[in-house]
Amino acid sequence: MAVSPLVPYPSGALPSRPGTSPLKLQASANASLNGTPLLARPAGHEIQGLMSLDLVEQMNEEEKRKYVKGKKLGEGTYANVYLGHSRQDPAVLVAIKKIKVQKEYKDGLAPDAVRELKHLQELHHSNIISLLSVFSSKDQNLNLVLEYLPLGDLEMLIRDVDRVRYGAADIKAWMGMLTRAVWFCHDNYVLHRDIKPNNLLIAADGEVKLADFGLARGFADPGRKMTANVITRWYRPPELLFGARHYSGAVDVWSVGLVFAELIIRAPFLPGNSEVEQIALICRQIGTPTEENWPGVTQLKEYTVPSDTVAVWGKDAYMGRFGAVGAEGVDLLIKTLVLNPKKRITAREMLEHKWWRTDPKPTRKEELPRKSSGADEKMGSDLKRRPGMLDDETNPRGAKVARKLDFGAAK
Amino acid sequence: MLRKAPVGARGMAPGTASGAALPLTTDDMCPVCKTIRYLNKDMEFLINPECYHSMCSNCVNRLFNDGPNQCPYAGCNRTLRRKGFRSAFFGDLTVEREVDIRRRVAAVFNQAEDDFETLRDYNNYLQMVEDLTFDLVSGAEGKRPAAEAQLQQWEAEHKADIERNRKAGREADEQARRRLTAEREAARQRRIEAIKEAEDEKLERARSREAELDTLAQAPEGQRVQLKRRGQTNRAGGATASAVETTVNTAIAAADVGRLSIRGLKEKRKAPAPEGPYDPFGGSDFVPSRYKVGEGLAHPQVEKYRFDQQHITGGYSFDDYTARAMFEAFAGLGVFIEDEKEVGIGMSAGQVATIGAGIAAVGDRMELD
Repeated sequence: MAVSPLVPYPSGALPSRPGTSPLKLQASANASLNGTPLLARPAGHEIQGLMSLDLVEQMNEEEKRKYVKGKKLGEGTYANVYLGHSRQDPAVLVAIKKIKVQKEYKDGLAPDAVRELKHLQELHHSNIISLLSVFSSKDQNLNLVLEYLPLGDLEMLIRDVDRVRYGAADIKAWMGMLTRAVWFCHDNYVLHRDIKPNNLLIAADGEVKLADFGLARGFADPGRKMTANVITRWYRPPELLFGARHYSGAVDVWSVGLVFAELIIRAPFLPGNSEVEQIALICRQIGTPTEENWPGVTQLKEYTVPSDTVAVWGKDAYMGRFGAVGAEGVDLLIKTLVLNPKKRITAREMLEHKWWRTDPKPTRKEELPRKSSGADEKMGSDLKRRPGMLDDETNPRGAKVARKLDFGAAK
Repeated sequence: MLRKAPVGARGMAPGTASGAALPLTTDDMCPVCKTIRYLNKDMEFLINPECYHSMCSNCVNRLFNDGPNQCPYAGCNRTLRRKGFRSAFFGDLTVEREVDIRRRVAAVFNQAEDDFETLRDYNNYLQMVEDLTFDLVSGAEGKRPAAEAQLQQWEAEHKADIERNRKAGREADEQARRRLTAEREAARQRRIEAIKEAEDEKLERARSREAELDTLAQAPEGQRVQLKRRGQTNRAGGATASAVETTVNTAIAAADVGRLSIRGLKEKRKAPAPEGPYDPFGGSDFVPSRYKVGEGLAHPQVEKYRFDQQHITGGYSFDDYTARAMFEAFAGLGVFIEDEKEVGIGMSAGQVATIGAGIAAVGDRMELD
């Protein structure tokens, strides 16, 4: 993580101070009487237009010119995503997320844009989507240049029951990447607060990357309230449903646990249609939060549970449904779904769990299942090849290599 | 046949080579002892790659059995050894010589396409090798020693590389051979299957015909046409079934071929060293190096919240808070702005501008709930 303090201006672009540059002395004769530092303008009219912008605008312009915006990939309520590429090397693909101007926030950036910017520019990890650049286009629209992740998201794979098959080793590999991402966020004191399968994007090499930091924030100081209205409902932990305002990384761990469960059963584990129903589902499937298993829970502002109390389910109940990942896997799942956030496992402890070291070994990322359209293409190309024909003939390079006379094997 | 690679062909002038290759003398008469084939039916001509002058085996034995001797050709001053003689593969000795040279060059310049970054580099390399070979084979008097020197220099400098490539080449050959055998075997299986299928079909056809005739024999006159038609549809059904089977078979074969041919050289090269045990942390850990976070760190401003029910129940972690406070206190240490400006670790000018603009816009007291 970049922990360096800000470097507000690169040295090359630093405006020269009065008296330090001979050019400046010239310029100050006819401009800048009030002492405002101005750029020493080289003579020449063609760059006059650029130079008339102030420094920040100039750098913005430079940054903007590095990328070419392409076709639209998707449209959301708060942003449009475009495919783009680097102007210097068109082979470098990027996703450009153009934040829409939101009516409610006239005086500045929408908070989700600020959150995304603030945290993504600090977090650099192979399992977290990387922010390559930021610039503003006309009308003060904010554009985030993100790395392009072409293989869809984890939700597509989970939902496509008919065409995508995966096993315990694949689940372990995906969970490993997800847990690493969350651990990295927490170790750098950032709460993601919106972990769900469709925020887990897949890179070309199969690496899972945590994306959408629109709800992220840093860990709060004691006494400072955080909003309880975060995390998509199905993945929201009980403390948030009960309106707790002082919480910790445990909220993300609960979401990770539910993603884990969803990967195994290939359906959302707790799909509540409303917050009340969500609480009821948690009580039924995991157990009712009570003073015994979670001291003080009844004091939470929005504590309401169904009247029939269900005891917290034991390991045997989970084994039947989630047994595919083995006893150790179920043990980890149960630890992530502990009702009391104080007792819940942390991301670091998750990575130290025995499950990662037991068989089967996690699949290598290149060999993980992919979305089926890619598989279709592969299949198509497989079927196009005539039987008895070698791949060499389809190798695009093969025909272009100069013939090499090989006399070594002549006799 | 001797497989010894030629040691060198430097001194040989083109004139002498073509003179030695005159058809009349080489075919029927030894140019040294003038024995003609009529007198010695088993006469065998040998050459020495030092100078490619041919002579009969009797002459070779006579002249060189007692040790190195000068070539008996007038004007050729090469010293030849018995060991160096072999019979020529080609009738034309200039061709023999060129092939020898090419074999030698190919043994030294044995890089494969995979060794190069781009196709262009590879083609340039091939061009360079061919130029050098041409100089050696039929270059002008001045160019040949230079090319020879170049070749020897390369050989001396890249001994290890050449040896490694040679091994890799041998392995690839072996693999190609194995692949070819496997493919041939698959093709044979397919052929057998196809023959069997054809036979089955024939049998099936005969059987249905028989059945048809039987029914015809038993049926009344009027139904003949109908029955015939039914027989046809039956056969058509059989044909489609077998067609489906063939496509399935070819699909399987195609998949087979695809699988077999990935065992080419390139794939082989990619195979990495066996990976170690899975590391859940992905090879990184962030234990602070400048301090240790101990138990029971406290601050009066924080203590009052430590026993606040809201903080406890919500799962607020005070350990995280102390760890973060320590982290932030030490975060700027060991970071040298001047260094980062030069090498630009972590941040580009654009990012810097972004942060700068962000601070200017909202101030660094920016906090969201």
